[in-house]
Amino acid sequence: MKQLQRTRAARQLNLSSAMLAFSVLADSAVEHYRGSFQNPAMYTPLGVAALTLGASLLGALDTRPRRHSTRDVVYAAAALTGVVGLGFHFFNIGKRPGGLSWLNLFYAAPIGAPMALVLAGLLGRSAESTRHTGFLRPRSASRRASGRVLAGVSAAGLAGTAAEAALMHFRGAFHNPAMIAPVTVPPVAATLLGAAAVTGHRRMSRWARLWLKLTALLGFAGVGFHVYGVSRNMGGWRNWRQNVLNGPPLPAPPSFTGLALSGLAALSMMDERGRR
Amino acid sequence: MSHREGQPNLSPRYPGYDVLAKRDSPSWNSQTRRVIDQRLAVGPDTHHFFSDEEWPTVRAVCDRVIPQPQDKHGRVPIAALLDEQLHHSGTEGYRDARLPPMREAWKQAVRALDAESLHFHGRRFHELEALQQDALLSRVQHGDVHDKAWETLPAKTFFEDRMLHDITRLYYGHPTAWNEIGFGGPAAPRGYVRMNFDRRDPWEASEARPGREEQARRENARIGSN
Repeated sequence: MKQLQRTRAARQLNLSSAMLAFSVLADSAVEHYRGSFQNPAMYTPLGVAALTLGASLLGALDTRPRRHSTRDVVYAAAALTGVVGLGFHFFNIGKRPGGLSWLNLFYAAPIGAPMALVLAGLLGRSAESTRHTGFLRPRSASRRASGRVLAGVSAAGLAGTAAEAALMHFRGAFHNPAMIAPVTVPPVAATLLGAAAVTGHRRMSRWARLWLKLTALLGFAGVGFHVYGVSRNMGGWRNWRQNVLNGPPLPAPPSFTGLALSGLAALSMMDERGRR
Repeated sequence: MSHREGQPNLSPRYPGYDVLAKRDSPSWNSQTRRVIDQRLAVGPDTHHFFSDEEWPTVRAVCDRVIPQPQDKHGRVPIAALLDEQLHHSGTEGYRDARLPPMREAWKQAVRALDAESLHFHGRRFHELEALQQDALLSRVQHGDVHDKAWETLPAKTFFEDRMLHDITRLYYGHPTAWNEIGFGGPAAPRGYVRMNFDRRDPWEASEARPGREEQARRENARIGSN
């Protein structure tokens, strides 16, 4: 029973890693194409995110209760690439006139994007260790503590992603009321998730679960809104060569779904304690 | 109407760049196509506003302000474009109040230039040598004119705010001039994405900086399909 639950949580984490990796793959493909791959390093996240996506999808199908060493390596590479990417993006902002200004935060390489790859790697690593034991050792404390750590990571990820959405939607002047949703729902979910991790109250986890599901849904709805956003730009979809690049990014919202999934996995790991 | 019939690009700086290749791309909408088609349909000798008597003077003035290669294909019909605007609307919607309205200003100036030329050289403006034409235009520029035809037309102001303004504006409103300077032309509905210094959208002119002439030519050849 326990092993079954553990594998299920692990597969869910693989899935959330897959969502994030997909988001990074599509987003960096579009944005780095826009940047004309000026720096050859700009190809790296495409390759690494593609590998991570592949590994994660296989992991989500893998019911064996063992960690998979290749996947483990891929996830480590993803996290590392994300950290290095973060450095590159800071460098890109820094070298522009004005340095760390609002204008550059709006229009230069986004800070939040490489973080998604870091998260994909971290969640994938925790998926693999969750299969094996809890991912914190020693084994005794592992389940509950792992769930808590994972909840913390997911909550922080949600908060960061919401901050990125806030920055971009502020740049877009919140011209559509729906643009408020991703800067309100995920922070509530993140707060509830954090509170559930800290207090361990089941009532709190029930609320967190509800809001995380809402957040997961929002990730899909967001893509729809962004499709609509592209159509609202001058020339609409006929002018996709400009509008897919200039309009709202289609691959961004699924990050919310990915992180909500990992939050849900964390909650089920924590809740296991009550059933023990 | 043939839109793609050679606006050969004589500029070595943007080899093979033809802004008209973008005609059927998302960069142009139907309104844009209509306007540019009209502009391209203007023949070099079409004139309705200026009389046959005035016409050679107008052409000679345009030729001196922006001299163009004699090759018939590459020329922008500046005088004819000016005539067309004067014929159709005769206004830009604003003017320098020191000058009469556009139509009167040009009619008066053509008369005055010929009068000035006859007075000094005994010939009309278009019959002068290029250097003499330049000298006369230079005197207009400095307000150093004597014929009484200038009395109600301040020469210096006309030169700066009407003559230079209209001629350069009409020249750079023509696709041939856009090809020459690598200008993207109309951008509606599609604008530009890569706004940073030294970046280029695939539908922008590619500049042949030393060493990348062939690459520029290749990129310019692909503009229409982007």
